[in-house]
Amino acid sequence: MAFEPVREMKKLNYEELRIYSDAELKNYTEEELKSFKCKYEIPKLDELEKGPWPSFVSDAKQEALRRRKLSDDQILTHRDAVEDLLGQLELSFDEGETHWKHGGIVGVFGYGGGVIGRYSDLAEKYPSIAMFHTIRVNQPASKFYSTDFLKTICDMWEYRGSGLMNLHGSTGDLVLLGTTTEQLEPIFYELGHVLDTDIGGSGSNLRTPACCIGKARCEYACYDTQALCYELTNYYQDELHRPAFPYKFKFKFDGCPNGCVASIARSDMSFIGTWRDDIRIDQDAVKAYIAGDIVPNAGAHKGRDWGKFDIQKEVIDLCPSKCMSLEGDQLVIDNSECVRCMHCINTMPKALKPGVDTGISILLGAKAPILDGAQMATLMIPFMKAEAPYDNIKEFVEKVWEFWMEEGKNRERLGELMQRVTLPKFIETIGLPPAPQMVKAPRSNPYIFWKEEDVKGGWNRDINDYRSRHKR
Amino acid sequence: MIEEIKKAIVDFAEGSKKTKFYFKDMESAVQKVVPGAKMRDVKKAATALVNEEVLIYFSTGSSTMYGLKGRGMTEDPTEGTD
Repeated sequence: MAFEPVREMKKLNYEELRIYSDAELKNYTEEELKSFKCKYEIPKLDELEKGPWPSFVSDAKQEALRRRKLSDDQILTHRDAVEDLLGQLELSFDEGETHWKHGGIVGVFGYGGGVIGRYSDLAEKYPSIAMFHTIRVNQPASKFYSTDFLKTICDMWEYRGSGLMNLHGSTGDLVLLGTTTEQLEPIFYELGHVLDTDIGGSGSNLRTPACCIGKARCEYACYDTQALCYELTNYYQDELHRPAFPYKFKFKFDGCPNGCVASIARSDMSFIGTWRDDIRIDQDAVKAYIAGDIVPNAGAHKGRDWGKFDIQKEVIDLCPSKCMSLEGDQLVIDNSECVRCMHCINTMPKALKPGVDTGISILLGAKAPILDGAQMATLMIPFMKAEAPYDNIKEFVEKVWEFWMEEGKNRERLGELMQRVTLPKFIETIGLPPAPQMVKAPRSNPYIFWKEEDVKGGWNRDINDYRSRHKR
Repeated sequence: MIEEIKKAIVDFAEGSKKTKFYFKDMESAVQKVVPGAKMRDVKKAATALVNEEVLIYFSTGSSTMYGLKGRGMTEDPTEGTD
């Protein structure tokens, strides 16, 4: 089924929506920027501008200078917010302690997430950041923005917030950093009614789902990541905005096992594109790689002379399951042993492609270390088709949520629950049969635990009857 | 049923020593009074109470709690992480 949007997006025209003229947006000279002095001494932050990397301190100074020069009617929040922010950060570097408090009842009407209250505990010293709330904005799938959208949101944020943004937060949201409580509802209105977007997730909600670039530009994509991300974002709006989970829950969608959004490490439910037939081989292209007629890795490392391409050393010997070989000039793959590491496909993309019977693997339970240690996801569903309307996926999602919401303790992530109840109990509850793909070393890991009802005759047997047939 | 659940939520919120509480704790309290109440029903009732401005959300950024509007809640932040 072809992708169909829930409704057409508005076409934004920045020239109609803009708040600032070009001159106002570039209202300082390079000389003024060079001689800019923050109103606080910030020697430690100045150090961060040295060296080869771009620095957020330089960006913040530009913004501080611009705000100094904008007129009063061009800013609705504190003019000094950026300078106070730099001053407080320098103090935190001196003291080795944060001065942010966060959380509270700030939010927008009817939504339980997307706005995170931030307060300075040094409000008297840094009054412009006494309130410095964060707003998460739901990014479009694969972050396909139009420049009209970005320019309009930048103008809006200069006007109603600090002008500082984070593109992007770990969940993928476009993050607006620093505004006051009274500006929250007007910003929410602008986002929803003018910019035609929505705020993202925070708190005990489904967090803003994020996907890789998928079929939009990538030939490796085994399913349409953007379509699935869009569908589940729309379908689970209630879970995104009205908190009833024990804690946060993240979906991420990778189109292939290269994992460009790192869903395996960063999401409670990770969707990774895969295939269940054979890797497609173009033997002529294999020969062309061997002959040096095609640059390996799609030319990604061609800035240096690595010598002649050696298929044995650079591909076959590096296969983690040793499932490849050269027979004469033919490349042979034992597909049943392939573990989808993608190395051979990445090295010779013109010769090798994922199969054509494609779908997803679903993995559960990854998390960063907040309450408990970091965990990678565990594979639960080795293969499932991923086609609209995705009812099979939604059914699985809801089964997992039902169990987690029932059994999960307050502030317990899905991965921690899985560890607490154990894998056998978890898969039994959500109705999945044990599969060797669920464990790293299935030949040595006793991942199936038999229950009495599974065994003919149960645990009890007549030892004499047994001995009549089996001598000691 | 929804009205019954709403009443149970408000009773729990008013009777609780804590001014903010997790959804799960609210759900268990409701299920003691209204045994047939499903999680979805409790969520619907809580959302309705938020829309009626009886309940409020309290978020640390990483986890969300509910509270009775005007009871012990201010904009003061609390503990937690993102």
